[in-house]
Amino acid sequence: MTDFRSRVFGYRRKQKQDEALMAVLTKIPVFEGFSERELAALERVLHRREYLPEELIIRQDEPGLGMYIIQSGQAVVTTGRDKVQLSQLSDGDFFGELSLLDETPRSATVVAKTHCLILGFFQSDLFGLIERDPRFGVKIVIRLAKIMGDRLRHANQQVLALSDKVQELLHKKPA
Amino acid sequence: MNTPTVRPSRELAPLLIALLVAILLLFIGGAAQVVILALLLAYILDPVATALEARGMSRTLATLLIILGLIGLLVALGFFLVPTIVEQMQGLQSGSTSAQAAAAIRDIERSLKDNLSFLGLEDFDLLGRIDEFKKSIGERFFAYLLSDSLGLIISIVTIPFLTFFFLKDGREMKKALVSMVPNRYFEFTLDLLYKMDSQLGNYLRGQFIDALIFAAMAIVALWILGVNYFVFLGIFAGMANLIPYVGPIAGVIPAVAVAVLGSGDLGSALPVVVSFLVLKLIDDFVVVPYVVASSVEMHPVIVLIAIMVGGELFGILGMLLAVPVTGFFKVVLKEGIATYRKYRFT
Repeated sequence: MTDFRSRVFGYRRKQKQDEALMAVLTKIPVFEGFSERELAALERVLHRREYLPEELIIRQDEPGLGMYIIQSGQAVVTTGRDKVQLSQLSDGDFFGELSLLDETPRSATVVAKTHCLILGFFQSDLFGLIERDPRFGVKIVIRLAKIMGDRLRHANQQVLALSDKVQELLHKKPA
Repeated sequence: MNTPTVRPSRELAPLLIALLVAILLLFIGGAAQVVILALLLAYILDPVATALEARGMSRTLATLLIILGLIGLLVALGFFLVPTIVEQMQGLQSGSTSAQAAAAIRDIERSLKDNLSFLGLEDFDLLGRIDEFKKSIGERFFAYLLSDSLGLIISIVTIPFLTFFFLKDGREMKKALVSMVPNRYFEFTLDLLYKMDSQLGNYLRGQFIDALIFAAMAIVALWILGVNYFVFLGIFAGMANLIPYVGPIAGVIPAVAVAVLGSGDLGSALPVVVSFLVLKLIDDFVVVPYVVASSVEMHPVIVLIAIMVGGELFGILGMLLAVPVTGFFKVVLKEGIATYRKYRFT
């Protein structure tokens, strides 16, 4: 009886966990609009990690191998030796997605602020997906390329705005 | 000019680790060999399962198809090859040396006695020794089959069974293992596993395919030359080819011996040696560049010591597994150190 109950409740608990996970995944721009089958395939390769408060998640300048998604909990992003706080992350936030394409060193340090449940999706998992299901793998790569394109466009606009400002300052006659 | 210095400790470390693991496996016994063989098979067959998955098949179905195909292939090979091998081994065991060969051997024997009389060779019976050796090979083969038949049957059943599960659930097993690694070393472990997989996977698969191709070429060459027991000798040469440096020589010696003893003419050794040289050239310049994508470079001394230790501990299987196992530890150590340096573990 106990076994049956635990199996039933165990199943329900797992189902509840999966639903929560799917809800988080659908909010991530990289996986937006993916079918249930695709999300299920993705869920199978994700690494679930638990972090205690104050525990280091990623460290600045160490190799970046993939992205992390915060399923629940809060984390702090800092930079430099003085640990200047850049931002705070919480449920559904993600970081390091561009490391899926390019193994560059991490640009900041992320430390858990509260107990965090985090999902990891790494370059090797993406390469595996591309080999097993090329259509799905390419879909993720295209989505990542789009995100990169958007960021590049945004950066270009910022550079243009800054250069206009510089020109404006240069041409401004001193009073 | 800066000359690179090789630290002996770094060169020897993989060998020492492999040696420790070999001793550990020796204590665990035959079960470990079965598990290692199943793991190797699953590792070699993994790209086939992945390719089937890419064609829309589920992993379970893909694995089932591969295992059924493998069993089918083994059964078919059994039907065609086992009777031939048994027949050839029986021939080797019972067949006495031909009259021509006996005369040639008697000549050699006489010459040895005349020139090396100071060694006390008056009672030396070379022909008797050769006949005795030939019989002992066959006897040992059948004694092994009979004495260890239960173990052999268990291995034949267990290996495909284990291979099926390693192939089907290998990814989940790897993920479960990685999940046990502490958070701080998790990315490092993942990175190391990925690099090891890409370096070793191609090497092991390439070696396996190369051995198959070499065995097939040797069987055909020996059949054309009319050498007896060509199937057995060809398979032996293919397997021996897996062992660097000593393997190709070890592969040609039995073929030469059988050719000379079968014809009684020492000159019949030449076509066998030449054909094996040609096969080795084809293997090195045509087959290896295509099938062995990456090689795990190791010092010849390390390779030879590893082969000797493997042979001493596990016999022929140990000799065959010695190089890939030592290569595995070399890659683990090399990539481990390189990856470790990128992280600032405190």
